[in-house]
Amino acid sequence: MGPEPALAAVGVSVRFGGLQALSGIDLTVPTGEITGLIGPNGAGKTTCFNVLTGLQVPTTGRVELGGVDVTGWPPHRRGRAGLARTFQRLELFARMTVEDNLTAAWESARPWAVLGRGRRDRIRRVAEVVELLELGPLLGRRAGELSTGQGRMVELGRALCTGPRVLLLDEPSSGLDGAETARFRDVLLEVVGAGGGPAVLLVEHDMALVMEVCDRITVLDFGERIAEGTPAGVRADPAVRAAYLGETSVA
Amino acid sequence: MSALWPFLVLGIFSGSVYGLAAMGVVLTYKTAGVFNFAYGAVAMFCAYTYWQLHDAWHLPAPVALPLLLLVVAPLLGLLLERLFSPLAGLSAEVQIVASLAVLAALEALAPILFGTQDRALRDIFPRSTVLVGNRLHVGEDQLAMLLITLASGAALWWLLRRTRFGTATRAVVDNRDLAGMIGVNGARIRRAAWVVSSIFAALVGILLSPSQGLDVYQLTVVVIYAFAPAVLGRLVSLPWAYGGGVLLGVTQSVLSKWGASGSVADVEAALPYLALLLLLVFMGRGLKEAGTTVRPVASGSGSPAPTTRRLLDRRVALGTGALVAAAAVPLVVSGPRLHDVTAGAVYALIALTLVVLSGWAGQISLAQFSFAGVGAFTAAHLAGSGGRHFLLAALVGMALAVPLGLVVGFLSLRLSGLFLALVTMAFALLMDNLVFNRSDVSGGLTGVTVPRPEILGLSLAGRVGFYELVVAVLGTVGLGALLLFRGPVGRRLQILRDSPLAASTLGVNLTTTKLVTFVVCGAVAALGGSLYGALQQSVTPQDFSFAASLELLLLVVLGGRSLVSGAVLAGAAYGVQLLPIPAGVARFIPLGIALGVLSLIQEPEGTLAQVRRETRRCLSVLRRLPGPPPAALPLQLAEGVSGGA
Repeated sequence: MGPEPALAAVGVSVRFGGLQALSGIDLTVPTGEITGLIGPNGAGKTTCFNVLTGLQVPTTGRVELGGVDVTGWPPHRRGRAGLARTFQRLELFARMTVEDNLTAAWESARPWAVLGRGRRDRIRRVAEVVELLELGPLLGRRAGELSTGQGRMVELGRALCTGPRVLLLDEPSSGLDGAETARFRDVLLEVVGAGGGPAVLLVEHDMALVMEVCDRITVLDFGERIAEGTPAGVRADPAVRAAYLGETSVA
Repeated sequence: MSALWPFLVLGIFSGSVYGLAAMGVVLTYKTAGVFNFAYGAVAMFCAYTYWQLHDAWHLPAPVALPLLLLVVAPLLGLLLERLFSPLAGLSAEVQIVASLAVLAALEALAPILFGTQDRALRDIFPRSTVLVGNRLHVGEDQLAMLLITLASGAALWWLLRRTRFGTATRAVVDNRDLAGMIGVNGARIRRAAWVVSSIFAALVGILLSPSQGLDVYQLTVVVIYAFAPAVLGRLVSLPWAYGGGVLLGVTQSVLSKWGASGSVADVEAALPYLALLLLLVFMGRGLKEAGTTVRPVASGSGSPAPTTRRLLDRRVALGTGALVAAAAVPLVVSGPRLHDVTAGAVYALIALTLVVLSGWAGQISLAQFSFAGVGAFTAAHLAGSGGRHFLLAALVGMALAVPLGLVVGFLSLRLSGLFLALVTMAFALLMDNLVFNRSDVSGGLTGVTVPRPEILGLSLAGRVGFYELVVAVLGTVGLGALLLFRGPVGRRLQILRDSPLAASTLGVNLTTTKLVTFVVCGAVAALGGSLYGALQQSVTPQDFSFAASLELLLLVVLGGRSLVSGAVLAGAAYGVQLLPIPAGVARFIPLGIALGVLSLIQEPEGTLAQVRRETRRCLSVLRRLPGPPPAALPLQLAEGVSGGA
């Protein structure tokens, strides 16, 4: 086993009426690594994401954030505890400027530290993120006017401004062209590579991207975990090939 | 035991009309995705038209009725379809405001077209009665009512279930985009739905007006009764909507057995609103909003990007300047006109609470004047008859608004968009019927008196003194809001509006944020109400009715629903209506407001943004005049505008 997991799902099951969306999923997201979560449509990736962020209460099982059981916590409490996410369908604060999007994110995670030293910390953190993601030219633009590629960067920046311990990325490359995806990949590696960067859980359809950036990959199919391992190991797994990779012809 | 069944039977008759109205509301919601708040106004307008045709122009009923049902009502329906179809896919808020503006427009248009004299619709059906069972005499008009509504409902059911048109309609209801792909003409279906819905409204109008009287406001509000049955049918089921209407009519009728006046009668009148509120609360999350694909509202007004660093920015400076100017107004304005200016300033204070609530936090409220009413009547009782100090009375009024703000806030936790608008509307109407119309609260029709305050030994009873007090309060709250808007508080509210989902995952506690917002805005509105009371020195329930809250929303949209200056403009627009304007002109003002709202519907910064855009357009034209422009100039101008300033 690698480093201490920053986020873990232990035996998580979710039932919607007669549909078993997730059955006994185990998932670990270790600090300092990028973990991939893949699977065909309807495999339960989104449900899994919602359980981790607190938007969906699991029928059984628990979620641990940094070793603490957070299963009963509402989303905002997990957010303040260091869990940040992006959305497949962009959820920007569309009528606010990019700068306000970032600032609001910092403030949301620390509701009582808005003045004095807190204010200086905020300005410094936002500036760091702006520099890292090269958002400078966009700061004064309204978020609703951005292209999808720019929007994804701002959402990533917003998540980073909270200073997360764990970062959940939901299909970050959907809607991006090749060049934008490549840039997103570079930025992602830079974010994680920097010492003390967050643990990342990546849900993604772009297999090339997943195979390239992920340290370990968990594969879901029909709500069950069918494989877990390194990209090479998962790629070679016959169950995975049968369930998934065969369809999308990655090889 | 005296017989209950006559009441049951009579209830079926009145309930069937509610059912018909509920079906009309459901029909446009499920096909076109528009919840038509103006349904009652359409019914009212059609009833007036019928009166004009039949009673004023003496057309015989066999001519007037087809003219109304087959020409006027369908045209009105088509007009509404044209109006709403460009708004499809926009945020719920825009559609709500649009249909409320239509409501206001029709209410304003009726007296212009049909005059303001009292009138009664002559009976359409003979008044003679038939004997049902051995004791109950039932009016032929009531029987006709039941038959007409049943026949209309059955015809609609047959149309939807048994014809190709019905299949196509159901395809559109299921999935508008897919239906389009398989060759269903969605626009035609929507037009048909609007036409049928309007015809139903016309029937409702002429069936209700003999008993309810031909009154612009009364008829509009009675049709709101039908909203509860419509919600019972989850806004999609026609049989449930009709059945719910009948159930409502029967319950009301049975209640009327126990009292024509007193608290039972109050409950009877309030029952439809209570039902609406409870249904929304308990069905809450089960209700799905139509048209959830929200296009971002056009925000490209290119107004300068607000910065987070400068604390004292241009807007605050402008606001301070405006405040100083406002304080100097008594130097040039005096007498009754100063009273009007004061009224506008008080109105701006109440409008400001709606700007914060709706424009910033995205929580639409149709009940802000209910909070104001709490403040006004508390001031009347404590400072007026109770003889306490005005400040104490105002503070108690604000404190009483807190639990009410919590109630509405809790409702907002489960509901948003359309359903929040409906539930706040139900709340306002309940306050009207159960609280404000009690004579021990409001003194009934004559109202109650509120004295002007004396603060620190300084009497503010005079016009100038009271005006300065109002300006001081408005200035404090307004400047405070401007400062907060730039800071963490303003951002917290705006992210709640733009994406509650993202806000909560970032760490914002939606529950406390919404509750605090509703409570603070409610308390400030109550303060505004106390000031309004002290200004007028006499207040009546009508001052704080649902209609007042509705007008407030429209004026705030007109002024600019996300701007502090929008609230001030709303106050100005209110004040203008108090000026001694010839009645011939004054009648057109509400219509102008409603049409103005419709034209600015997509612009969160209201009139100001429009003015700014026009100025910019003129400037760009001027700049282009001197010489032949390079081809790329328009683009550069656009860039310079959005990036600069």
